[in-house]
Amino acid sequence: MIDTLLGYYNQEPFRFLTAFGAILFLALNLAAILTMSERKVAGYIQGRFGPNRVWPRGLLQPAADVVKLFTKENLSPSGSDLWIFLAAPIAMFIPAATIWLVVPFAPGLVIADLNIALLFFISITSIGALGVIMAGYGSRSNFSLLGALRGAGQLISYEVPLILSLLGITILSGSMSLVDVVDAQAGGFWNWYIWFQLPMFIAFYVAGIAEVKRIPFDLPEGESEIVGGFMVEYSGMTWALIQASEFALMGLMSAIGVTLFFGGWQPPLEFLDLGTFNWIWFGLKTSLIMFTFLWIRWTLPRLRMDQLMDLGWKVLVPLTILWLFVTAGAVLVFPSFFG
Amino acid sequence: MLEEERVVESAALGGRATDRLTNPYVRDEFGLETIDLNVGPQHPAMHGLLRLIVELDGETIVRCDPVMGYLHRCQEKIAENRMYPAVIPMTDRLDYFANMHMEHGYCLAVEDLMGLEIPPRADAIRVLMCELMRLASHLPSIGFLLLELGAFTPILYAFRERERIQTIFEAVTGARMMFHYIRIGGVKADLPADIPQKIWEYIESLEANFDRDFVDLIQGNEIFQTRTRGIGKVTQEEAIEMGLTGPPLRCTGVDFDVRIDYPYSWYPNVTFDVVTDTEGDAEAAYRVRIGEVRQSIKIIKQVLENMPAGAVMGDVPRRIRPSEGEGFGRVESPRGEFAVHVVSDGSDVPYRVHYRDPSFVNMQFLQEILPGHYLPDLMPIMGIVDPVSGGWDK
Amino acid sequence: MPQVGQGVLKGMGITLKHLFEKKITRQYPEYKRTLPERSRGLLTVDMDRCIACLQCMRVCPDHCISIEMQKRDIDGSGKPKPYAVGFVIDDSRCMYCSLCVEVCPVNCIYHTEEFEAQAYNRLELARQFGERPVDPTVDPKPAMKKKKKATAKKAPRTVERPVSERDDAA
Repeated sequence: MIDTLLGYYNQEPFRFLTAFGAILFLALNLAAILTMSERKVAGYIQGRFGPNRVWPRGLLQPAADVVKLFTKENLSPSGSDLWIFLAAPIAMFIPAATIWLVVPFAPGLVIADLNIALLFFISITSIGALGVIMAGYGSRSNFSLLGALRGAGQLISYEVPLILSLLGITILSGSMSLVDVVDAQAGGFWNWYIWFQLPMFIAFYVAGIAEVKRIPFDLPEGESEIVGGFMVEYSGMTWALIQASEFALMGLMSAIGVTLFFGGWQPPLEFLDLGTFNWIWFGLKTSLIMFTFLWIRWTLPRLRMDQLMDLGWKVLVPLTILWLFVTAGAVLVFPSFFG
Repeated sequence: MLEEERVVESAALGGRATDRLTNPYVRDEFGLETIDLNVGPQHPAMHGLLRLIVELDGETIVRCDPVMGYLHRCQEKIAENRMYPAVIPMTDRLDYFANMHMEHGYCLAVEDLMGLEIPPRADAIRVLMCELMRLASHLPSIGFLLLELGAFTPILYAFRERERIQTIFEAVTGARMMFHYIRIGGVKADLPADIPQKIWEYIESLEANFDRDFVDLIQGNEIFQTRTRGIGKVTQEEAIEMGLTGPPLRCTGVDFDVRIDYPYSWYPNVTFDVVTDTEGDAEAAYRVRIGEVRQSIKIIKQVLENMPAGAVMGDVPRRIRPSEGEGFGRVESPRGEFAVHVVSDGSDVPYRVHYRDPSFVNMQFLQEILPGHYLPDLMPIMGIVDPVSGGWDK
Repeated sequence: MPQVGQGVLKGMGITLKHLFEKKITRQYPEYKRTLPERSRGLLTVDMDRCIACLQCMRVCPDHCISIEMQKRDIDGSGKPKPYAVGFVIDDSRCMYCSLCVEVCPVNCIYHTEEFEAQAYNRLELARQFGERPVDPTVDPKPAMKKKKKATAKKAPRTVERPVSERDDAA
């Protein structure tokens, strides 16, 4: 009887609903954990404890935050375009949640093994940029408009180095599927792509910070000048959704970076292989990259708009194109080593 | 952007207020118009309550109108109805990051009016407290500059140092911020016996932390350099014409310091350098403040070593009722020259008290320099002046 | 064009070191530090010593002390002496300047070490010390006598502007 139940459960609507529930659960909880860890790391860097009142030692702070945000009023400015205003947080949350479908957590533990996973990643990330513009325009406020236009320029510009940095991986592994990319990095940490693709990783990392709109690229949100930028008019659960999408996207960028450059769920040494529990290695590596995101946020000041664009177009794009040619040349000249 | 270009562009967009009264939506020949942004009184980075009506052409600032008065408390008028010693706690609340200097300025003015002699120990204690206050003001100034640039950490290191200084002040004066310590004729009470030792220990701990937390973390940071180098550049002649004083003036190269040029109190007995820089931009103002912190540490050490003994309050009549006349006192506060002009008509209360506050006068720098810069450059430019809203609004 | 290099990495090393250092926060309600002996907290009055001279009311810059005075024979000597039948200190106005403490001739008004003056209602912050409650919303306007007899020793003069040798506008 259990076999029939499982067979029944394996049908399409249930599989879809389980996957849907799983990625929402993952994205929202990741956002919650990241808000707390951001505040704790911020506190520790600044010589103070972060929130430490909510039991135990402040680790349930996101629960208190969620309760507070649920009970807050969702304001909207008068004269704002309400459909666009309310649809914008959803548009921002879609890439942060959907791309988790293609991320491999452990051997066999991937929700959708697409063979165009990298293309899927690139295309869905662009919807986030659209969400920022919708939020800024729909708010009918000069501050939001400035934030939206800055966001539009920044996000679209930094997608170019983001995409170019993935092409080297595609050449080396011969496939756009993330599962194949992870499998190609098997055999110990010297096989990971980070060593050969270090400039591409730097470009991906910097473009990733810019895509998530964190300091030093948080000018659309510009807390000190335009006080919240595109999200200044949001409050309550709509704002919480924007914040959740920002943190979930940050986790996503870390996860994709780990998958592409650091071997995904591959253990650093062969004998530490844990089989299906390799998601522990995946989790450790992703947490380390997320920690560097937080560490950079609390140390560096932010760049001005034209300096930001200079960095993207004049430094990262030539770097990635140059390294693309180097990678292609290396694969042609030494096919056995890099094949 | 050159001066002529600024004016021409503004004319192309319809000129200034007169045109906008007749036609509020003024477009230039391409059909573009400017946005009016109210960087309003409620803002995390306006150093208090400053309203800047900024006219933006994209991201470039075309015109900037500061509107002050959101913290006006009628201090000068209220002082006309309070007895002379009772005005001192109100001067505490003028520039609330440099309370000791405000009290000192007012007391110098009244002592000038009455012709009082201050005992040397009182002078030395006043200088010690003022230099500690300068430390407690410059470090958060640097912190605020970086807070507005987007780095949230140095301000917390600055406030850690300021808390330690405030603990020393609390042991000496009784309050952490509104001290009411410098009185007409001297200071209120002598230093407690263990305070000089505590100040020495604090200075040593500050010297250990200062380079790491304020210089190494910030000065070499490429992002900080790109954001502040060349921003708000002003020449010596322009600075003198605008009446700037303090770090905004000294960062252009003019070495004017009230402590050297119009010496007062115990300053003739200490040796220190006036910190100047030649660039005149925001990074130069940051370097000037760092240099002044080092000079303040030098002054504090000299005062602690050579502190004279004696009384701390001079021969002051019991009722302070000066004869008719005027008194003028000026001090070097962390933001520039702070001066007080007291006019007496022979009664218990002053006839007129006028405060020349450096934040008020340095504020015109914003209106002159901002057009032509980008909107994010507003923050380093305010960091050059570092106004405090209690100062410009009184 | 910024190039990430020596300065940024050095700064990040400094913040990483701070991450592992001892934290300087003191957890407030569980830890309360000992205040120095000169610290100025809430005011309090020892009504047994008060002689109702009204000096504290006159000198207060914020007009937060309000005293209702009556002449009463307290010590049985037959002569009615000033007695403060109503004494209110309004904490919502007090700025802890300690002028009233310094001017009191019998040292009956002084600062305590308490500083937690929270209340749900602004009128609760006005603490009554006398027998009869005084209305704290009425501004006590102590009469300011503008006497003309000067106590300073100098003859009247107007200020001459101090000139430094670098001043070329003089």
